[in-house]
Parts: sequence; structure tokens; C-alpha cells
Amino acid sequence: MDRRATFWILYLPPLLWLGVFFLIPLLLMFAFSFRPDMRGDFFGVWKPTLEQYAKLISTGSYWRLLGISSLMAFAIATSAVVLSYPIAYFLAFHGRQRAGFYLVLLLVPFWTSYLLRVMAWKIMLGTEGVINSFLIYINLIHEPLPALLYNRNAVILTLVYVWIPFATLPILAALQRIDISLFEAAADLGARPFHQFLRITLPLSLPGVFAAFFMVFIPTVGEYVTPLLVGGSRGSMYGNIIQDFFTKAANWPFGSAMSMVMLVGTLILVAIATRLINLKDFLE
Amino acid sequence: MNPKKPLLFSLTGVLVALTLILSACGGTPADVPPGELTGSLSVLDWAGYDAEDFWIDFKNTYPNVTVNFEIGISDADIYAKMAAGNQADVFHPYTGWLQFYVDEGLVEEIDTSKLANWDKVPEHFKQIGQFNGKQYFIPWDWGFTSVLYRTDMIPEGVDSWDALMDPTYAGHISMWDDGPSAVTVSSYIHGYDETAITADQLAAIQEEWIAQRDLNLFYWAGEPELVEGMTGGDVWAAYAWQGAYATLLANGVPVAYANPKEGRNSWVGVYGIRKGTENLDLALKFLDTKLAETTGNNVVNLFYYGHSNQDVMNGITDATLKEAFSIDDPSVLETTNFTPNLTAEQRDAWTAMWAEVKAAP
Repeated sequence: MDRRATFWILYLPPLLWLGVFFLIPLLLMFAFSFRPDMRGDFFGVWKPTLEQYAKLISTGSYWRLLGISSLMAFAIATSAVVLSYPIAYFLAFHGRQRAGFYLVLLLVPFWTSYLLRVMAWKIMLGTEGVINSFLIYINLIHEPLPALLYNRNAVILTLVYVWIPFATLPILAALQRIDISLFEAAADLGARPFHQFLRITLPLSLPGVFAAFFMVFIPTVGEYVTPLLVGGSRGSMYGNIIQDFFTKAANWPFGSAMSMVMLVGTLILVAIATRLINLKDFLE
Repeated sequence: MNPKKPLLFSLTGVLVALTLILSACGGTPADVPPGELTGSLSVLDWAGYDAEDFWIDFKNTYPNVTVNFEIGISDADIYAKMAAGNQADVFHPYTGWLQFYVDEGLVEEIDTSKLANWDKVPEHFKQIGQFNGKQYFIPWDWGFTSVLYRTDMIPEGVDSWDALMDPTYAGHISMWDDGPSAVTVSSYIHGYDETAITADQLAAIQEEWIAQRDLNLFYWAGEPELVEGMTGGDVWAAYAWQGAYATLLANGVPVAYANPKEGRNSWVGVYGIRKGTENLDLALKFLDTKLAETTGNNVVNLFYYGHSNQDVMNGITDATLKEAFSIDDPSVLETTNFTPNLTAEQRDAWTAMWAEVKAAP
């Protein structure tokens, strides 16, 4: 078989899949954001309008919420990366023949549904939950702390937990690629373990660290399930408002405009971050 | 060149002949005995209503008809799906969300002469599904909305909708996650005309609910979430349907269902048939059996909702259910406010107001 045929046989199915289930819906959403409202023929021709974007621009609370959601995503991604780095380090350098087994242990939570894992945090953090019951049992408090659940902290805590196993994988992959002989050379030249880590391990694992960060950051900006379950009245994120316009308001045009703004905003943030990282590499 | 071609032609010929013979032997679909009727019907409904209990009469009468359910998560979701060209034959919206189906030509007029159970539906229920003098929907399930509260936490009782705004219960209130309902509650409290809310009133309502957010523990999305919150004692007062009330009563949780001085709210669920469906006959049969007694009894006994078949409601003997529907106290129904239909403008403005409440600093 000639190479061109092999290329198309291998690439056509994923390209078709992406085109039909990703690109076309995205384009539809883009087109919908220029619809004036839901009235009239849904897939007929409509006169494009910037009405939805104008409404969005004039509503300050949505911009503020997008900012808060981005900050939350930043905090969550940073915490998840910091917490998963030692796990990845352990698996890469101290797991030995059991590393595979530990990796399976790390991935065990994925065998239960995402929703169940978030619900489990409701049981942990509730007024009659595990944490409150324990604190009352050891006489540290006498009344349950109501502040554990139904706020932004609960959202952050739950999401960090959910993302840790995800964040571990790219860091682990980066650490495993490091050539062991580099450590031997460093030791020969008198570098202590801490210096070896700072000068060799950390810089060489940075691509994995950044991959992990963005893998958590990007989907978290638009997160809506976790805030819905543990966020309470004041825990809504930008994604919840988008979801509301689709499922509670039957206002797809405005929901689409909000989604497009988030998409572009996230892309800009990622582009800036990538530029900054490259710049740093360049300076070094 | 193509030896198979003659065979193909002959096969087609046989099929055409067979079809002609069979159709000549068969009668019209109306003549087919119910037990032998085949086909498939697609229903866009809410989670839970897909259980056989809620269409058992159809299943028993037409055992060879396949019914496929698609689930909508809210009125807005169901409306958006139908507007986007969903091919469901039958769909299940609630009062407030009916007008646009008629305006947008999404719903078929119902020939009620084909519904054997139609006589059992009281006239005031029938009117809910009528627009421009035509019957577009059949009423099916109904219930109240009021303030549900824990009697041990609020021993003084609740006599007004403004309990949902009472700072005394800060951190222990739960509102339904729904903009139009928030407008309804504020309208009751301040005596606004719910069908003619002005821009100033809507702005005031938005401020009122932004302030309420600090008292509200969480906005409940589904009844089980509310029941869990009230059972655990985190929620003392909530916007609630009487299904939650009956569930909590049956579980022995100390709760009461307020009769606010402004009156309770009541809602009605209806079924409509998609305009242009090819399964009109089956859809009408489905609607008719939805009104039948066994199905109705299941709605009452399993979901604690009312049913539009009066024979079903007259047959209720269970004390908890009588209490939930206030059957022995007709004055409750006399002061109840029925949910009016939203216009498309109200829908967009009120839902946007609610989104801004949730996004507010």
C-alpha cells in the first residue's frame, strides 16, 4: 500500500470524528452567538447581530465571575501540580518494581463515577459529615462548622482532589525521561541531592509540570458540576451561568456568546503563558 | 456484465407484489386490535416519568408498541430541544412554558373526541391546555408550591412567602434554582401583578434575591437534594413542591407545608404532540392512556403529585396524601395562585435576572 493511502486510512477516522463532534458543534455555537433570539426557524438563515455580545459586555457581574473562575482555576491547577509532583517523583524514582502497582492505586478513584467522588466530598464536609463529626468527637468544637461546605473553598478543595491523579501522569512521564547518568555526573561533581533536584530534575521535568498545569487549568475555568454540588448559593462559576442559559433559560444565543468569550479568553491566557515560558527558556 | 442484475429486479418485483397483496388484505390501522398494534413512539419527558408505572395503561393496552424516552432536565431544556427540531412525538412541559410552543407552531392541536378518558378531566384543568380556543395540551400532573419548613427549627410556623427572606433563618433557607419562580415569590410578597412585571420591579426583584443569597444555603436543583438537606437539618425553610412534603412526612421528619397569607402557588404538567408527527394516532392513544386510572393512581401514590383524572383524586384515602393535597380543606385551593404563562420576553428577562443574581459579587 502506498504511503498516502496509509496516511489517509490512519488519519481519516479521527479527523472525521473531530470534524463531526468537535469542529461542527463549535462552528454552530459560534454561529448561534450571532442570533438575536430563539424565535423562528432554528437552522434557517438569520440576520447576524452583535446583540448578545453587547449584552454580555454591559453586564459587569459576568466579567467579574469569569475573572474569579480563572483565578480559581489558577489556584486549583497550581495546588494540584504542587501536590502531585511528590507523588510523580516517588513513582519515578522510589517506586522500583512496585511503581506499576502504585500507579494503579493512584488511578483507582477513576473506577468510580466523577459524580460519586464529588458527592463523597459532600459527605466529608457536611454539618453531619466526617470532618465535623471527628472534630466534635475529639471535643475540639461543640457545634458543627457550617463553613466547610457550600462555598468556593469547598469547590477548590474538591477539584484539587479530583485533578491530582490527572496532574501526576504528565509529570511522571517527564521525570521518567530524565537520563539517570545525569545524576551520577552531578554527584561526581559534588552536587548534593537538593542541588541535583534544583538544577537537573526540576528543569527537566518542567514540560510535564506545565502540561499538567494547563491540563487542569483549561477545563477548570469552565467547570460547572462541582460548584453545582458543593458550591452553594455563592459558589457559582462562569460555567454554571453558561449552563443556566442553555438548560434553564432556553437562551442558546446568549449561552453561546458566553462560551465563545470564555474560549477566546482561555486561549489568550494560554498563549500569554506559553510566550512567557518560551521567553524564560530563551533567556536561559 | 452484471449477472446479478436480473435477480435483483425479480426480488424487487416479488417484494412489491407481496406488499400489494398484504396491504390489500389488511385494514386501516384503526381496525387493528390494540394487542396487535405495532410501531414505536418517542417521548421527551422528565427523569423518573420514563418508569413504566407512569405509562402502565399504555403498556398493558398496546404491549407491542415500543416507547422510547428521551430525558429533558428542565422546561427550558425541553423547549429548546423541541425548538431545535427534536423528533419526539410527545413532550411534557409545565404551566408557564406553554405559550411559545403554540406561537412557534411546535405543537399539534388535539382532537379530544379521540380521548376516551377526556370526560374525567375537570373543565378548569382542560382550560390550561387551551390557546386561541383550541386544545393544544392535555393536563396530566399537578401540585402545589409553598414554603416547606422544619417545625422543630421554626416552631413559630410560617405564614408568608417572606420566610424565604427572613434573616432569622440565615444559612438554613433553600430556594429552587429557577428565575421565573423567584419572580413569582417576590410578586406574591410585594403584591406585584406577575403577568405585568415592569423593568423597575424586575430590578428590585433582582436586588432582593441578591440579598437573599447570603441567607440561602444552596439553590436546589432536584427534589432529592432538597429532601436530603431538610432531613439532615441543614435546611429549615424552603421553596418546595408538595412531593418533597409528602416524602419527608412519610419519613417521619417534622415538617409542615405553609398556607401563606399570599396564597400557595400551583402548577400543572401537560402533554403535547409535536406538530407534523407521523405517529399522531399512537400519540393520541398514549395521551388517552396517560389519563387512565392505574397510571393516575401511580402518579399520586409514587410521586405524591395530583392527577388530572378526577376519579383518581376522589379515590385518595391515605391520610398523608389527603394532607399533601389539602383535600379536606377546599379553602386552600380557592386562594391558590396558578402559574400564568410566560411570554418569550418575560422568559428571557427573568432567566437573565436569575443568572445575574447567581453571578453577582
